[in-house]
Amino acid sequence: MSVETVVTEDDLAEMVEQVWVSYLDPEGVSPLVVSGDDKQATEVHSTVSITGTWHGHLVYACSLVAAKKSAAAFLAMEADEVSQEDISDVLGELANIVGGNVKAMLPAGCFLSLPTVVLAPDTASYYPAAARISGLYGTWDGEPVSISMWQSVKQEASA
Amino acid sequence: MKILIADDSRVMRQIVTRTLRQAGFDGHDLVEAADGAEAVEKANAEKPDLIISDWNMPELTGIDVLRKLRAAGNDVKFGFVTSECTEEMKSAAESAGSAFFIVKPFTAEQFDEVLTPILG
Repeated sequence: MSVETVVTEDDLAEMVEQVWVSYLDPEGVSPLVVSGDDKQATEVHSTVSITGTWHGHLVYACSLVAAKKSAAAFLAMEADEVSQEDISDVLGELANIVGGNVKAMLPAGCFLSLPTVVLAPDTASYYPAAARISGLYGTWDGEPVSISMWQSVKQEASA
Repeated sequence: MKILIADDSRVMRQIVTRTLRQAGFDGHDLVEAADGAEAVEKANAEKPDLIISDWNMPELTGIDVLRKLRAAGNDVKFGFVTSECTEEMKSAAESAGSAFFIVKPFTAEQFDEVLTPILG
């Protein structure tokens, strides 16, 4: 497998735009503003893994404020009304939606895992057999949000 | 009409419910299932007129649910609302008897377009 077949930052941006238009910013007033800052600190994250003809992970990470805002938008509630369960569910769904769209761009024969959610910074999760191959880093109303893709190093090396 | 919404994500079940309303499909009797096995169970017990199902769910995937129902002679109208959409999945869904395939993220307009011929 060559790196060319993998989803690019532009592809991720297009998917994220659809998520914002559909659920997080239907009025089109607060889009994700891309900053490219891959060092920005996050507080929570969710992951889906892809296996089969392509091996890797899709990680959605953001601040707690952004996670609460996302849950509020998804559930049509106020941000201060959302529970931890709401936040976890919405973070899992965000990784699932973007991961599902990513899968559609990968070679046939891939499988998407159910999402896992960690209420801790994305640096709390390690992917020892994978390397980051692309990422979209930005802010949403000033709050950090990122989507990154990690590919199995072994698979990349054997390409 | 009775509609069964099968998705392991509580959030997505709520969004499907809200989107149905936004698309103008008010007044239907809605039933929920949180995994594939529960979807089969509710399909048999509740006898819905339509099943809107996720693909990737614990216990049984959406396509397994559809195949199981058809194998048992259940011809309920069935369609997928899923984040995953590959040609192989679409083809498997169609062969198994799926009526539609809506990809997440979706809008009320897409629900309207796809479900109007079914729900009227």
